[in-house]
This record gives sequence, C-alpha cells and structure tokens, in this order.
Amino acid sequence: MTRYATAKGLLGLGLAALLMGSTAVSAKTLVYCSEGSPENFTPALNTTGTSFDAARPVYNQLTEFARGSTTVVPGLAESWTFSDDAKVITFKLRKGVKFHATKDFKPSRDFNADDVLFSFNRQWKEDHPFFKVSGGKYDYFNDMDMPKLLKTIEKKDDYTVVMTLNEPNAPILANLAMDFASIHSQEYADFLVKQGKPELMDQIPVGTGPFSFVAYQKDAVIRFKANKDYFGQEKALIDDLVFAITPDPTARLAKLRKGECHHMAYPRPADLEEIKKDAALQMMQQPGLNIAYWSFNVTKPPFDKKEVRQAMNMAVDKAAIIRDVYLGAGAPAKNLIPPTIWSYNDTVKDYPFDQAKAKELLEKAGVKTPLEIDLWYMPVQRPYNPNGKRIAEMMQSDLAKLGINAKLVTYEWGEYRKRMQQGEHITGQLGWTGDNGDPDNFFFLRGCSAARPGGQNLSKWCNKEFDDRLKKAAAMSDNKERAKLYEEMQLIQKEDAPDMTIAHSIVYEPMRKEVTGYKMSPFNRHEFYGVDMK
Amino acid sequence: MIKFLLKRAALTLPTFFALMFVTFVAIRMVPGDPVEVRTGERGISPERLAQFRHELGLDQPIWKQFADYVWQLLHGDFGTSVVTNEKVLTEFFALFPATLELSAAAMLFAVLLGVPAGVIAAVKRGSWFDHTLMGAAVTGFSMPIFWWGLLLIMLVSERWGLTPVSGRIDLINYYFEPVTGFMLIDALKSDQPGAFWSALHHLILPMIVLGTVPLAVIARMTRSSMLEVLSEDYVRTAKAKGLSPFRVIGYHALRNALIPVVTIVGLQVGTLLAGAVLTETIFSWPGVGKWLIEAIGRRDYPALQGGILLISSMVIVVNLIIDVLYGAINPRIRHGR
Repeated sequence: MTRYATAKGLLGLGLAALLMGSTAVSAKTLVYCSEGSPENFTPALNTTGTSFDAARPVYNQLTEFARGSTTVVPGLAESWTFSDDAKVITFKLRKGVKFHATKDFKPSRDFNADDVLFSFNRQWKEDHPFFKVSGGKYDYFNDMDMPKLLKTIEKKDDYTVVMTLNEPNAPILANLAMDFASIHSQEYADFLVKQGKPELMDQIPVGTGPFSFVAYQKDAVIRFKANKDYFGQEKALIDDLVFAITPDPTARLAKLRKGECHHMAYPRPADLEEIKKDAALQMMQQPGLNIAYWSFNVTKPPFDKKEVRQAMNMAVDKAAIIRDVYLGAGAPAKNLIPPTIWSYNDTVKDYPFDQAKAKELLEKAGVKTPLEIDLWYMPVQRPYNPNGKRIAEMMQSDLAKLGINAKLVTYEWGEYRKRMQQGEHITGQLGWTGDNGDPDNFFFLRGCSAARPGGQNLSKWCNKEFDDRLKKAAAMSDNKERAKLYEEMQLIQKEDAPDMTIAHSIVYEPMRKEVTGYKMSPFNRHEFYGVDMK
Repeated sequence: MIKFLLKRAALTLPTFFALMFVTFVAIRMVPGDPVEVRTGERGISPERLAQFRHELGLDQPIWKQFADYVWQLLHGDFGTSVVTNEKVLTEFFALFPATLELSAAAMLFAVLLGVPAGVIAAVKRGSWFDHTLMGAAVTGFSMPIFWWGLLLIMLVSERWGLTPVSGRIDLINYYFEPVTGFMLIDALKSDQPGAFWSALHHLILPMIVLGTVPLAVIARMTRSSMLEVLSEDYVRTAKAKGLSPFRVIGYHALRNALIPVVTIVGLQVGTLLAGAVLTETIFSWPGVGKWLIEAIGRRDYPALQGGILLISSMVIVVNLIIDVLYGAINPRIRHGR
C-alpha cells in the first residue's frame, strides 16, 4: 500500500468514527433541553421559571402541588390542622425522610422541624446567619406577603411545627407549596459554616427531592441522579436526569428531533405545525396559568360608566387577535382565571364582537364621538402576550370604526408598570402569571386594596360586592365554599367590565415518543419524577 | 525593542480608559436597571426598590458610581454579578476556555483554508478557481452568522445527520469533571473511550460558522497581497534563477505576502469574539459570548462591564502582540523607517 493510500485510509476511518459519534451504553438517561442557566439552586433567592425548574428536582416543600395540577397535597408535612379561628396551623412532619449526600457532606440525621425553621427564618429574620448569604433578596417570600402574614413559626417537637398567622389566610397552604418555600437542611448549613463556605448552600443544593444534584456547568449542563431513598409515592423512574442548556429554540427543536434530548422547553409558535407532523415526537398542550387583559381606568371618564366599558368589550374582535397575534398559542379568555384553576366559572358568557351594539351602548352612555382616548401597550413580550403593539394596533383599528381615536402609548417596561399602577393611563394592557394556583392569586388584581395608587388593580375598580366576597373567601379554609364565592365574583366582574380579558396563552410541550408518564403542570413547571422512557 | 513595546503599551491606555467609560455609560443608558428587570408584573415596593438600589450603589450620582468603579478596578476587583452573586472574574474565567477553544479552532480553520486558497487564487489569477473563490469570499464575508449557523444545523445536523446539533459533548454517554475547561483536552484526559471524538465532532459546525468570516477575509487578503508580491523584482529574479515554482511561491513570495495577512489575523480576533456572541448562542456553547448576552438582558452591570472590559483588553493585547510580531517580521516598522 502506498503512503498516500494509507493516509487516505486512516483519514477515512477517522472521519467515519468522527461522524458516527459514540455508541457507548448508558443507564436510563432523560435529557431535557432547557432554555437557560439558573441563577443558583436556592429557589427562595430566585424569580425565574428557569431557575425554579433547575432546583425543583432536588427539593420538597411542606405542602406540594399534585403532579400536573394546582391541587395542594401533603409534602414534607404529612398532615395539618387549623385552629378554630383559622389563625394557627399545626403541621405534622413526615418521619424517616433522608436528605441527599454530597461529595463532602453526609447527613447524620433525618429531616425534622429544625430544617423547616431554618428554611423560613433564613428569608424572614434579618439576624439569621444565612439572611445575607448570596445577596439575600427573597423576592417571592416578600411578594407573597409572608412577612405580613406570619406571626410566628415554632417548633413544638421534632416532628411538629406550629405556624401562627396575623389573620386567617386560606391561600397560605398554596403559598407553602411554591418553590420559595423549599425545605433545606439545617445540618448542611451548619456544615458549610464550619467549612467557611456558606454560599455553597446555594450552589451545591441538598434537599430531599426525587433527584439529587450531581453537577452543574454554567450555560452547558445540569446533572441529577435518581434519589433511591425518596419518600414520595411517585419516584424517579429514570436513572439520570440531564438538563442540556440550549437557549435557541430552533436548536432545541433540532436536538429533540435528532434524539439529543427527549423533552424541550418553550417551542416557537411558528414550529408547532411541523412538530405535530413529526412521527418521532408527541406534543402536549394546555392553557397557561396566565391572563392578558385590557384595563379600563374607571376613575377617568368616560370609563367611569359601565356601558362604555361593556361597549369596549364588544368593539374589539378578540377572535382576530387570537388568530393573528397568538398564532394558535392562545385561547380567548372570558374570566380572569384560566380554566385550569379550580372555581373557574364556565357559565360566564363573554361579550360578543358586536360593533352595532357597542355603538348603541356608547350612545346610551351619552358618549359623543369622535372620542379621544389613550391605549397603553406593553413594550415587551410576555408569556401571555406575544406582541402588545400588534394587539394595540388591531384594537385601535376596531375602535376607529366607532369613532374612537385611540392614541397608542408606551414606556420602558419598568416605567410602564409604575405609571399604570399609579393610574396615569385611561386604558392599557397588562397581564398576570399565577404563582400558586389559588384563585385569590388572580382575583386580588381587582380587589379594592389593590385599587389604591401604586396598587396592582390597574382598572382602579373597587366594587363592594366583588371585594366583600374576595375578603371572605381568603379567610375561609373550605375550598368548596370558597369556590362558590369565586364563581359569583366572575359573574360580577364580567357584568361590570372593569377590563376586557383577552387571552390565556396555550403552552405546548413537545417531547419524543419514547417519553412516557409526563404530566404537564399548570404552573408551567417541568418535572421529571414519575416519568419513564420506553 | 523595549522602547517600541512601551510606546505601544502606552498608546493602549487611553483606549482602555475610553472603553471603560463607554461600557459604563452605555449600559446605564439602556432603560431598566437590574432591580426593576428582576421584578415582573407584581412590581416591587418602593422601600424594597430603594433598599436594593442602595445595596448596589445605584442611588449614587453617576459620576460617583463611575469613580467607585474605577477605584475598584484599580484594586483588581471586577465586582460581583448581581444575578448569580459570583465574582465576575471567577465567572469569566470559568467560561473563557470554551470561547478560546472555539475561537482558536475557528481561526485555525480560517488560516489553514484561507491562506492556501488565497495563494492558489493569486497564482491562478483569472481562472475559474480564482473567480469562484473570490465570489465565495464575498458571500462568506457578508454572511449573517445567525442565519448561517441555523442553516448548517438544519442541513448538516438535522437533515444529513452528520454532526450533533449543539453543545460540546454527547451528554448521554460521557460525563467527567472539567479540569482545564478546554473540552478537547478534558475529554482526552478523561480516559473515556470516544469522548475526544465526541468533543471534536461537536466542535465542527460552530468552528465552521465562526470561522467563515475570517476565512473569507484571510483568503482575499492573501490573494491581493500575493498578487502584489508576485509582481516584485525579486520574485522575477528568483524565477530567472531557475528555482522551482513551489520554492518561489512558498518561500520567497509567501513569506513577504504574509506580513499584511498577520495584521489581518490580529484584527480578526475582535471579529471572532464578536461572532462568538452569536455562535455560542446558536450552538449552546457555554462561553463568555452567551454569558454577555444574558448579562445585557438582566442588566447585570458588573458582569457586563467586567466582561466587555476583559474581552476588549484581550483584543488590545492581541493587537499589541501582532504589532510586535509585525515589527519582528518587518524590521522597517520596528525602526520607524
């Protein structure tokens, strides 16, 4: 063989090996193509779904959301009881729950009340040794009003924790199932303090969850392995869980198709049709836990008149917006809450698109045209609103037909929210993404206390009938009774029309056909316990 | 030589300072600060907003913030990321090897293909090869990287199945702790059979995408520089002496033609790092480019300022080295003649 032929042969072999890649055998590994890197692994410090997804396999909370639903079920607390005045909650903790071990830390005891106290006090007490660790911004703990709600959290014995509230608050059980309320190991914290590296608490997570943390390389990969000691009924059915961090949605889809990952986050709406056609893939869908709305500032004429607000609801072609702006990734909203939340009232009738009737209502209200109003639109894309400007333009064109000249207004995102909360707008778009699946978490947006300047009731609408029910429901612990009140509130809101509910986004989750047992979370969580591969 | 070096180094100082200032001001002109960007529809109470702004020093007048920043830098402190709470230097150097690996591979690809292609085009001036190459070079130079990357992924990875889509290694079959941060080296050291091939395999597409623009520039530059040199008297003399065409072109002509090409290679380092921002995003390459993009989105001032400053410093240093190298190749520059 000549030297040339040998070299050519070797080159050929090398290329073949290179192009074929590897065929090594591995354990049952599920690769999830995620959209970004987490800020760290302590949910209490974070605010993004990306960070929560990355920490969630590791942790549990006292209460939890049943997989694929907004129903609150026991987690690390196996049961709880309310006092008669509903201000004191006594949690009975689960026994025999093991924390994960790391390369350096081996837990010597099971989970107990000290861990619960540690996890809450870190976020609550400024003199707590971990309060300032990793920046110490506990946004969700504060945003969910926990400092205002909580009076004390006490350890009665190793397996009993007593939480005393300042006022009765039914949604607190749902709050406790949120990621910020994840339970950390006090023993691990002590260990890290002794090592002089408390910040590792947030970088190498130790929890009790269905997967234990193995490694993280920023912007590249997060690895977990199944926790064989997991206490939950639904365990990890795969051996390894890998998050392949892939920020570009086109690349995520290409990886999914090629089998480099088994599940992907956030497909592009434009790719949905093609995904549906792919025989190797399956796709789940459901309305997101969110709402896009158009608020009418009821403190400014002519929007102080109910007829005008109702007319606005009839003047705009909602179906066209869903079709042309959401491109199939949105469902028309008739209520403030999406249908995945309990107490959704399906008997509510949405306003039809009827410009003649709208005109009639305007005349009845004594509105003279041409009428000049402003229409604020969001300068950013949000999960519930893919294109605020386009929606505003469509509204503007519909309104023009009634002789209403809507001036489009926008500001920088932070400024926009601030000014709207102050009530500077006449009408404007915004929306909401739910935190804990409790109806209160949406309806407070139309409550009287949020109607103050700076509050989040952007319609500045304060309806006594609505607000009384809102307060009453928040103080009740029986969800059936609460649901009745929320159903009534949806009727009141639709009739008085402080806003036009535009859409709930539709969330799509594509995955390979070999993935089985996956349940979509209404919270848009990506959870892989109980998931198997064929 | 030392005087030359010092002079060049001194010239970079104002550039460095201007850069520091522009980065600092530019990011603050973008609406929204790190605290506001963190909060969603829920907003933030004025008290907490004020507290966080105070902690980050954002409540200070801008000149004071800049003075503090310069003072910090003079003490070698690039600050702490407001998002991850990690030191900017630590984050940067954890990610930089990935960028360096990709950029070096892209540059190697560009030089190894660009120089010979440019030489052949010059020697065969006016031939179909010359025309095709120059046409391709113009196309390559004007190629939008994002589009080119996605196109190659769809075609080469998805349709033909020849390369992986993105990432640095097959995550299902290989796992080892990074030691150097250079995947090729770590894979080689990992003793896992096939890991090195997998890493190399993953490098191919991003290398081609990032190397395309420099390849086009280098090929064009080599061609024109070569054409100039080939018409010089000493080349004619060499030919007249009866030297082989290979020796005339490869030794006498190319050596001289490479002088401007070296400068261009130096200038391309900036292009490479700029291109890395997009290439890394498309190919999920965990380098500093992708990190900077995220820092902009989250208004992570310290990470952004530190990152840009570090990258720009590297470009400045590389250009300084090129200047020195240029002087070494071409003594006329060194002696100021």
